Amino acid sequence: MQAFLNDLALMSQAVLFNIYFAAASIPIGFVLAVFLALGKASPNPIINRLTRGYIYAFRGSPLFIQFFMFYSLALSLNIAVWKPLGISGFVLHPLFMGPLVLVLNTAAYTGEIFYGALRAVPRGEVEAARAYGMSRSQQFRRVIWPNLIRLAWPAYTNEVVFLFHATAIVYFALPVVGAQADLMITAKTLFERDYNAFLHFSVAALYFLAVSLVVFFLFGLVYQRLMRHLPAPPRMRYRPKWMR
Amino acid sequence: MTDDIAYWFSYLTNGKHLTWYASFQFTIFAALMGGALAVVFGLLGATLKNSRFLPLRLIGTFYSSIVRGVPDVLFFLFFPLAFEQGVEWLVASQICTPEAIAAQTAAWPPCKEANWFLGTTEYLLLASVSLGLVYGAFATNVIHGALRSVPNGQLEAARAFGMSPGQVLWRIQIRQMWVYALPGLSNVWMLIVKATSLLSLLQIADIVLWADRLGAPNFLPAVGLVHEDWRWRYYLVLFVFYILVTWLSERAFEAIMRRAGKGILSEARV
Repeated sequence: MQAFLNDLALMSQAVLFNIYFAAASIPIGFVLAVFLALGKASPNPIINRLTRGYIYAFRGSPLFIQFFMFYSLALSLNIAVWKPLGISGFVLHPLFMGPLVLVLNTAAYTGEIFYGALRAVPRGEVEAARAYGMSRSQQFRRVIWPNLIRLAWPAYTNEVVFLFHATAIVYFALPVVGAQADLMITAKTLFERDYNAFLHFSVAALYFLAVSLVVFFLFGLVYQRLMRHLPAPPRMRYRPKWMR
Repeated sequence: MTDDIAYWFSYLTNGKHLTWYASFQFTIFAALMGGALAVVFGLLGATLKNSRFLPLRLIGTFYSSIVRGVPDVLFFLFFPLAFEQGVEWLVASQICTPEAIAAQTAAWPPCKEANWFLGTTEYLLLASVSLGLVYGAFATNVIHGALRSVPNGQLEAARAFGMSPGQVLWRIQIRQMWVYALPGLSNVWMLIVKATSLLSLLQIADIVLWADRLGAPNFLPAVGLVHEDWRWRYYLVLFVFYILVTWLSERAFEAIMRRAGKGILSEARV
């Protein structure tokens, strides 16, 4: 029991790194994803092809490889570019590199979600908006975007939880600086000390589960707010079926 | 010109590179084996989730929701370690003498005789099983949903023919559910393919590890070609490799879905 509490205390520091990686990459990824979705739907062949290719490449390859690729690319540019600029310590730091790659990755996944939602926006509403003489930007702000975000929100919630789970591999690909270790590295070092796999990995899993549940709860609140114009769905009923 | 080609050809076919090419077998094996096991665990989980008996239903639901609520890397690392320790604990309880336990200084295993050395083959099998377990939880959800989309009339007809519940499940429901499960299963397969890049975390000398070794800067002419840090080039090759695998899988699943959807009147064929 004491060991369990010790682990809980030790990992309460570590989980902050995972939360940081997720929190730093989600807002930027969100904005980028909107542009990617618009680009994928754009009639301009160059923009269309580029965004399509980008989304396909980043969704079709493992995040682990993307981490290695971008980190080693940054390393090989170190002497030529970062060093003379005097920012090599900043650029090569995992706290910068991690969110950078996560942003590139999540933007592709979220962009695909938004693109799907964009295509599902009711045609008639857009036509009505055009009939009212709204400009392109008015159409987007007042008709397309509110529909899009409502359609995409459940899938986007899943993507955010997946992104949070993906922060587990950041430090397997990037170097650990000093005592800055996330949940997985902490669990692994603790395991290598006393070989108690069940305790340490379970505590790390508990933290991941807990944060995932919090994310689901918060995003659920936002979803309720987004859907406030609709009649409330029927409440969950507790009606256990012991034997069917 | 020809000299250049011969030069690069000999560089790309030296011993280290050949080992790299050979290590693709680990990735491919883990993907195929993990995929097959994921379907097996998915069927098992879905059957549990559909069970008439509450505790079994709970086990199925618990399995699919807990494993999906935890990062795949965590489970991927945890399962082989836990399995190894479990076996060592079992062996130790049989063969360790009190003297051997007293003589042991390390924290684990309880005595030196109980130590189980895992080679690449064992780790590869364990990695496939843990891939199967993790993505089996995703497949459970997919298959559970697909089982429910089989038209009820088909099941009623089977019951009317006097089939037992097991026969209805295995001969009608599971035979017909594949059409509905295929789109979801193709997504699970893509996830498995991407997860195979993690094999190097289990001490398997896989494509990622070799790419890192081959690309590392070399300053000794005796060791081979002198070059600076070329790792990003090797990782770029892997990046393209995975995109190609995804593209091939998409094409393959499209073909399978077209074939499986033949003769079935439904909107499942999108």
